[in-house]
Amino acid sequence: MLKPAVITRNLHKWLGLLVGFQVLLWLASGLYMVVLDIDFIHGDPLVKNMPPLVTVLKKPGVTMADLAERYPNASRMGLRSVMGKTFYTVTDAGNRYLFAADTGSLVSPLNENTARDIAEYHYAGDARVSRISLITSNPPMEIQTRALPLWRIDFDDRYATSFYIDPHDGALVTRRHRYWRIFDFMWMLHIMDYENRQDAHNPLLITAQISGLLFAISGMWLLIYSFSSSRRAKTRDTR
Amino acid sequence: MRLLKKLHKWVGLLTGIQVTLWLVSGLVISLLDPAKVSGRHWASATVTKPQAQHAPELIEPAELPAAYLEEATALDLGSRQGRPVYRISYANGEVLLDATDGSVITTGEAGATELARRDFTGDGAIVSVKRGMAPDLETRNHHGAYWRVNFSDKASTAIYISAATGDILERRNAFWRVRDFFWMLHIMDYSGRENFNNALIIGVALITLWLGISGFLLLFGSFTRHDFFFLKLPGKTGHAVITLHDPASAAQRTVRLRKGSNLFLSLATHDIGLPSICGGGGECGKCRVKFESTGVPEANKIETGLIPGRLREQGYRLACQQTVVNDVALHLPGGTLANNQ
Repeated sequence: MLKPAVITRNLHKWLGLLVGFQVLLWLASGLYMVVLDIDFIHGDPLVKNMPPLVTVLKKPGVTMADLAERYPNASRMGLRSVMGKTFYTVTDAGNRYLFAADTGSLVSPLNENTARDIAEYHYAGDARVSRISLITSNPPMEIQTRALPLWRIDFDDRYATSFYIDPHDGALVTRRHRYWRIFDFMWMLHIMDYENRQDAHNPLLITAQISGLLFAISGMWLLIYSFSSSRRAKTRDTR
Repeated sequence: MRLLKKLHKWVGLLTGIQVTLWLVSGLVISLLDPAKVSGRHWASATVTKPQAQHAPELIEPAELPAAYLEEATALDLGSRQGRPVYRISYANGEVLLDATDGSVITTGEAGATELARRDFTGDGAIVSVKRGMAPDLETRNHHGAYWRVNFSDKASTAIYISAATGDILERRNAFWRVRDFFWMLHIMDYSGRENFNNALIIGVALITLWLGISGFLLLFGSFTRHDFFFLKLPGKTGHAVITLHDPASAAQRTVRLRKGSNLFLSLATHDIGLPSICGGGGECGKCRVKFESTGVPEANKIETGLIPGRLREQGYRLACQQTVVNDVALHLPGGTLANNQ
């Protein structure tokens, strides 16, 4: 029979080979996520004029009653503020419309120049727009859960900031930057969902966690042997 | 390597319990079904109704009381129990106004009870309804007054309804509470359970990273080719014949050990257990064996530290620090062979 200490030491060694690297990844990715302020990761310092306040016009160019008549099956209607101006929004059978409140004219879908203006209106930095593209299909992973189409406006700053503007209501849907993207990558490493980076309940993760737990417990157990060893080694030396 | 080992041991002593807690809490969180944790497992499907049927009686946003329009960030037309309503959003909450006369609509105890009853499809009845003020532990992402509707199901579901809008704010249950407790342990925010950027976890994570790095580097020194003999790698193979003497019993035994293997471990697998506390870690210095004068190997730093010079010169080495190389004769501590037969 092998002594418990021998078994524990070898268990710890082999489990280390099996999950040691993942444990290191957990520690490193966890450290990244706790060190960087979550508001910074969300891009709060990159935006201004948020949230935009809605001004209700006394004599608008279009009324709720008009729109309700024009879109009798509308599922949503409302007021939004875009660059300080008021707009009416309508969602009807999956189609969305944006009307300027003052003139009542249909302004959606917003064109490239308007999308750029909105992005610059909310951008708190001083870098210039480097690229604009309309994303209609195959969205990048960083907006995988968002409804398309979306304007993507990239800024030439050290954060590689991207703003996403909805062409149908002018909203700044989300903002992304380099440290968010790294955070997202770290989260992927942390939850071991390499495909969608969302499912923290996958069998690979659970297997690694159980092995990791045995690894940690065997390590703690070894501490008992190690520290009683060094104490005895010392007393023998001084004898 | 010795320094790394020392670092690994001491950081392990310092952070071992938290590392274990991270793993346990991570595991529990992963094992819990997210649909049950969020309560949507027992939530009835909601339907969005068209509003346009109310068109003739609508009042326009400009006709709503001005006080409710200041600071508004959005205004939406919707319906509540068949009546058209304007939902006005602010940075910190929402309010519902009747879209035919502009009066404020709030949700009272009876309304909240009804909304919760319609939402919950699980196996349980309403046992109590209480009013409270968000944020608290279970409603920490919300603001304003709420109704808490408690159910008698096994998971002790509590459905939180906003007193302002009648929205379902949260569905809490035993699954969520267990998850939240372990989430607290995971992110080490013991009061709010929300802030993972706290100084404590940053400090502990920084220290623990050294446990990981030192452990990872130690991994390279812990394995030899021999550990992977089952892969049948090309190269040195074969066995060495080790002759073992035990002064206590005058018995003698020979064993065939795989070349390249660790002497301490190989002997142990042949049921020859040398004295040891640390289990072959080069820490206790108890697994001393004396090599026959013709085949004494070099002593490494660990052996220099743990064996007095006089004994080293006589050929004493630590079995856990030695590799099987050639046929050799060893003198074991008295009684080793007898004890293990």
